[in-house]
Amino acid sequence: MNETLDKTNLTLGDRLRGFVDAFGLPRLIIAAFLLMLYIAAPFVGAGFWMQISNTINRFSWNAIMVLAMVPMIHSGCGLNFGLPLGIISGLLGATLSIELGFTGPMSFLMAILIATPFSVVLGMGYGWLLNKIKGGEMMIATYVGFSSVSFMCMMWLLLPYHSPTMVWGYAGKGLRTTISLEGFYDKVLAGFLQINIGTLSIPTGTLLFFALLAFGMWAFLHTKTGTAMTAVGSNPTFAKAAGVNVDKMRMLSVVLSTWLAAIGILVYEQGFGFIQLYMAPFYMALPAVSAILIGGASVNKASIANVIIGTFLFQGIVTMTPTVMNNMIHMDMSEVIRVVASQGMILYALTRKTEATK
Amino acid sequence: MKNTRRLLFRTAAVLLLVAIAACMMVVGRGHTVYIDNKTLEYEGASYPAPYRATVYVKGERLSTLAARERGMSTVIGQRFSMTLELIEEKGQDPKTVEISLKLPYSMDGVILNIPGYLAGLPQEAWMSEFVSTPSEAEMQEEAPGAEEDILAGAEF
Amino acid sequence: MKKENKLLSFLRDNTVPIMFVVICAVCIPISGFSASYLMNEIVTRMGRNIFLILALLIPIMSGMGLNFGMTLGAMAGEIALIFVSDWQIWGIPGVVLAMILSIPISVLLGAFCGKILNMAKGREMITSYIISFFMNGIYQLIVLYMMGSIIPIKHFSVKLPRGYGIRNTVSLLNMRQCLDNLLAVRVAGVKIPVLTFLIIALLCLFIVWFRKTKLGQDMRAVGQDMNVARDAGINVERTRIISIVMSTVLAGFGMVIYLQNMGNIATYSSHSQIGMFCIAALLVGGASVDKASIGNVFLGVILFHTMFIVAPKAGAQITGDSMIGEYFRVFVSYAVITLALIMYETKKRKRKSLVAQQLQQEQEEASGT
Repeated sequence: MNETLDKTNLTLGDRLRGFVDAFGLPRLIIAAFLLMLYIAAPFVGAGFWMQISNTINRFSWNAIMVLAMVPMIHSGCGLNFGLPLGIISGLLGATLSIELGFTGPMSFLMAILIATPFSVVLGMGYGWLLNKIKGGEMMIATYVGFSSVSFMCMMWLLLPYHSPTMVWGYAGKGLRTTISLEGFYDKVLAGFLQINIGTLSIPTGTLLFFALLAFGMWAFLHTKTGTAMTAVGSNPTFAKAAGVNVDKMRMLSVVLSTWLAAIGILVYEQGFGFIQLYMAPFYMALPAVSAILIGGASVNKASIANVIIGTFLFQGIVTMTPTVMNNMIHMDMSEVIRVVASQGMILYALTRKTEATK
Repeated sequence: MKNTRRLLFRTAAVLLLVAIAACMMVVGRGHTVYIDNKTLEYEGASYPAPYRATVYVKGERLSTLAARERGMSTVIGQRFSMTLELIEEKGQDPKTVEISLKLPYSMDGVILNIPGYLAGLPQEAWMSEFVSTPSEAEMQEEAPGAEEDILAGAEF
Repeated sequence: MKKENKLLSFLRDNTVPIMFVVICAVCIPISGFSASYLMNEIVTRMGRNIFLILALLIPIMSGMGLNFGMTLGAMAGEIALIFVSDWQIWGIPGVVLAMILSIPISVLLGAFCGKILNMAKGREMITSYIISFFMNGIYQLIVLYMMGSIIPIKHFSVKLPRGYGIRNTVSLLNMRQCLDNLLAVRVAGVKIPVLTFLIIALLCLFIVWFRKTKLGQDMRAVGQDMNVARDAGINVERTRIISIVMSTVLAGFGMVIYLQNMGNIATYSSHSQIGMFCIAALLVGGASVDKASIGNVFLGVILFHTMFIVAPKAGAQITGDSMIGEYFRVFVSYAVITLALIMYETKKRKRKSLVAQQLQQEQEEASGT
């Protein structure tokens, strides 16, 4: 509508309204809130550079899992609430790599290699399922994630793992809930070309790794297959008429998303320093979903820029609120703020009228 | 016409619920009553505790209190009735006293002094508030952590 | 030949309950629980949970799917109970007061939920699911930070020692099982909470009656087809909001009944899984996303709880690890919901393509003549 009007005739208020509409009010509030946090941080005694490097660190851990959202949004499968499925492939890769006796950087490489076939197979099954239930993807994805996590809870206990670094000492079987990665791939990417200036530290390796994958994703979306995938998402009937195999494209996007989730959790682990099993992957989809939405994506539109902005904003809030809030009002309300902001963002995206019909 | 009737009906329903709620607040107020069989000193005079006092509440024997002992009962509502079987001195025959009294709404825990009540003293002499001291564990309880235990709700 | 077909379709329509009967049949002997213990547990849990699960029926009737937002009602019930125990109202009056107090909170939350679900037609379930998370944040804000500082809470047994916020567990010792114990009857060693069952029966009657009222009919029409209902002059948005509000209010009552049986409130976790378990129990009873009856509720509670009681012990007997059974029952709950959702969506798609085919055929016929 606005485009048809002459721009010069618009008042400032109209322009502002248009800007708010385009950007989304919740997103604006969240960005403003984060800005406020950064301004407040030095005054309340929380080191500014410390906060920045915390945020960058957490950004580097989480960005790939947020990137995993992109392919499925492009192919019209909606937000991938089934991220835990991919995370499980990653965890299988991680634990098997250690079980097979790999150490150091090699264990990271092997974890990726082992996780890949798992994620491809699981992703194909998951994609097949989502093709059968077009239109109801998000709810089923959520529950596929939950079921797979609770199923694996049993498996972590039952599978014949033996590596003494991973199993419970007294029973000699059953994996521990958290496994330290020291001696394996702890900080293997983060330590690569790490930059330290005073309190500021930048995990260059992890950022480069993310940049590589993000660039790969960007390049893929511009190939013939990539554009076909986007076409499937934006107009399936048209794509079908143009001779694109809709189901195959959707399947590809799901496999890609699952694989990225597997890589994502491995990168997260190398930064965090521990493998977390059992119920840990349960709610991991929600932060990733809200991060990409905060970055400006919607249920059927997402770009690499959305991933970067969103992860930065989201992780900024996660790292900044506890310290700043604690110093300002002596109440640690960060948990509440995080939940309300991230879930509110998802709700906002789900209720957009233009995106609600497909 | 239909609308006004509906409005009337709704207002009546809301009022009814508020009335029931108010009733419940009065009727359902719970008190813990501590019954003391202790010698009471009041305004210079001393009122000795009987040798034995057996307390019955709602026809059931609550406890038998020797001198200097305390019994405990709970009651819902402000009307508290009990029957006392008193033996003043060792070897005497018991005599039965029916007691029914009104508890103040604001008190959680109420201490009743038997000899003071039986002597017919004013209320503030034999009734006092029981202020419980929270246990160490209760004082140290922290707010829940950020990590939510997902299996915590598995009780169903 | 025909008989076989009937059997097959019966099996297909009742896959989930049959699966559960099999699981229970295998697990009960392994667990080694006595019949009277099992009966006692199941009857107790029936009294505890049926009311909550019945709250799910109304949104299903109006085509809004499984109401994951019933958590909101549970929160309302908890907030009401927190107030009641702060004011030290005990016993049955406490339960009644908590129910009345929960109504305005439930209505408010339900109306909010209904409004949002109207903005997200076609994806009600995922939206109501996210709403429950969102509201959990707000609930924490209110209960952990505002109660005691802004909202007056005095009693030390409820309030955290730091001066604001509610303790992790609030004891309901003084109203514990007061509904269940009043009029309770013992039959062959099994305690039957007659009053609780009477309340449940009352709600069942209400639901049966409600289906026949004008509003109930409207809801079913909206559930069948929103556009047709709108053309017939039904206010679709309002009807949907009412259905969610009713469900939320009932869930609030249900939560009060549930918690008086449990005897304490786990302030920050009691409500978090309740929606999931209720939905799983309903689906186990053979309900689907668009069709559920009172019979489904009863069958579901019995089967689901038998599994719930028996699984940890049976798992421990088989594998020697009690955690296996715990995880198993959580897995089964999620798997059942997943399965039901998949069956619902595939059925919906089949129906859609059938309609499309018919339409195409008619068009071809029309153009042919």
